[in-house]
Amino acid sequence: MSTAPSTGQAPRREADPRGSVLARARRVDPRQYVVYVAFLLILAFFAITLHDDGFLTSDNLLNIARQTAPITVMAVGMVFVLSAGEIDLSIGSIVALAALVTAIVLRDVGLVPAVAAGLGVGAAVGLVNGLFVTLLRLPSFLVTLATMGLVAGLARWTTDLEAVAVVDDTFANVFGSGDVGPIPGLVIWTIAIVALGHFVYRHRRFGAHVLAIGDNADAARVTGIDVNRVRLAVLVISGTAAGLAGLLYVGRIQAASYTLGASDLLIVIAAVVIGGTRLFGGAGSVVGALVGSLIMGMLTNGLILMGLDSNQQMVAQGVLLLIAISLTLREPKGA
Amino acid sequence: MKAHRVIAMLAALLAVVVLGACGSDDSESSGDTAGGSTATATATAQPSPAVGETVGPAGEKATPTSELELTPEEIEKIKSGNHTAALVWHQSSDFVNAVSRGAKDQFAELGIDVVAETQANFDAGKQKSDIETVMAKRPDALLSLPVDPTATASAYRGAVEAGANLVLLSNVPSGFVQGKDYVTVVTDDLFEMGHQAADALAAAIGGKGKVAYFFHDAEYYVTNQRDEAFKQTIEQNYPDIEIVAEQGIADPAKAEEQANAILVKNPDLDGIYVTFSQPPAEGVLSALRNAGNTKTKMVSLDLDEVLAIDMAKGGNTAALIADRAYELGQAMAKSAAYGILGKEAPEFLVAPVITVTKDNLEAGYQESLNEAPPKAVLDALG
Repeated sequence: MSTAPSTGQAPRREADPRGSVLARARRVDPRQYVVYVAFLLILAFFAITLHDDGFLTSDNLLNIARQTAPITVMAVGMVFVLSAGEIDLSIGSIVALAALVTAIVLRDVGLVPAVAAGLGVGAAVGLVNGLFVTLLRLPSFLVTLATMGLVAGLARWTTDLEAVAVVDDTFANVFGSGDVGPIPGLVIWTIAIVALGHFVYRHRRFGAHVLAIGDNADAARVTGIDVNRVRLAVLVISGTAAGLAGLLYVGRIQAASYTLGASDLLIVIAAVVIGGTRLFGGAGSVVGALVGSLIMGMLTNGLILMGLDSNQQMVAQGVLLLIAISLTLREPKGA
Repeated sequence: MKAHRVIAMLAALLAVVVLGACGSDDSESSGDTAGGSTATATATAQPSPAVGETVGPAGEKATPTSELELTPEEIEKIKSGNHTAALVWHQSSDFVNAVSRGAKDQFAELGIDVVAETQANFDAGKQKSDIETVMAKRPDALLSLPVDPTATASAYRGAVEAGANLVLLSNVPSGFVQGKDYVTVVTDDLFEMGHQAADALAAAIGGKGKVAYFFHDAEYYVTNQRDEAFKQTIEQNYPDIEIVAEQGIADPAKAEEQANAILVKNPDLDGIYVTFSQPPAEGVLSALRNAGNTKTKMVSLDLDEVLAIDMAKGGNTAALIADRAYELGQAMAKSAAYGILGKEAPEFLVAPVITVTKDNLEAGYQESLNEAPPKAVLDALG
């Protein structure tokens, strides 16, 4: 693997993002592109098998886009986390807590404080995760495993398992239920977050640092990258993204409940990894994560429309996932 | 069956991984006096006077499912309409499978095609997506158990506006009006379930002694009514039985630890009531076994393989009170036909309940789930 950089550049200066270590870190992996092929294959498969069952109707395709919006938003955050060689297991629980806090503040105070509170909850949990990981040098797997339970407990405790209804139309319209012309608001959120994530990941120094750390943290440290600051930042990004996903759920279902996000964690990780992000850091793609998320949404949607019962859907989803993973993630020999 | 079990185990594993977030209220429930406890149901228990009755989520008066009736003309009319239906469940379980089977069999008789089936893992967000997805097939009827009345209301609103006849199991979305937004709501005879549990436990311990009461500590009218009915029946009909310990189960997976503590404090318990079988009563059973306790009798609600085997072998489990899940499904499908025909349905329907003991184990499974007990249970019966 890569050793310390030998470019002789002043180590204190932030290296040019296109410099040697960083360039290697962000080198393009051709397997990334297989995800787009997998996406088209699955789309074609359902389009043919379900042509009489409404799969290709614009309503249904918009459904898929709407339904995957919170997953995609979390997936963008997760791309940063995984690329840096960390993981965040707490996102599903953050969704629930952020959603409940938002709904309560919205009911009792107002819209702007509610949005701030929801995002704040996500950022705060991310910060706690990050501080434990960086200050105490603990593995993020264990830290976020602990906060996953802790935050889920808080979410249940907040309202004693009661759901909170949202009657604020402005909030609902902005965060999930509204449309801009023919385009659902959730699609716009998806595009905005993916674009922002992609820009930071590919075109800002921060993204390059994330990849460098995930590829080889020691080498990155030698080049002058503040490894702890970046690790803290990716966990805050991920927590905030989960908070935003919570807001989008609240807007979409016009209520908050402690069960929101319960089944999201593994879907998000699957979407990100299918999308070409390495589970152990050093390579990744925000746009790939979007496509991975759409693949996951399409699988769920298509298998329901096929009329399979829920047990068969689980089996079929597993089989199709294995195929998708085999296509996109097969390590070349000697890697 | 085997495959189901493997899948269920995988699902359970997944659930553990995603642990924190899932707080499944087990909503399976049961019971009705109206349709009739059979003679076998009273093999060991004598019915005591009813001290209350099941009411709907909004206080509706109950009508037995047996009162639903379609005339031959109505059936013909339905059959000729090429109607479709979708089933949107809250989770997957033996109970849901049996309800689904009942609904599908009834739909088949009515010539209604079931075009989609989903389960939401108790996740309100997923249930909303499931409803949107199945609505792409424009079903005439939607059979569903809402994960949460508040959190799923907007999801059902869209389906109703698209013209689906909504038939509900146990829960009603907030603000929904019967006859306008949904056809009817069907559930078990909840009060009767708790009532029969009390009678069965009393019979098992000879009508007197000390019992522990494990209730479901959550706002859920299904379990709340069943638990309350048990307690009221014991208190009012069995003066010689004393409830010496009350324990709320908030996390069904932790019942075993709670039971350990109760058993240490009350080593001389005669009986235990547990709010539902899977997983809390299974947890209590393993606590009893760990304590080497073969004397304390336990009664719980809903059929369950582990407990049924214990019962068959003459273990701690004295009786399981089961609903007729298959009949619930049939009633939901018939109600959907009411909706499609524009015929007025009763506002709240309850399906009957049976007490299953070692003596009627095989027949009890048939009546409740419309299938034979698992092979291991039959083997245990010998």
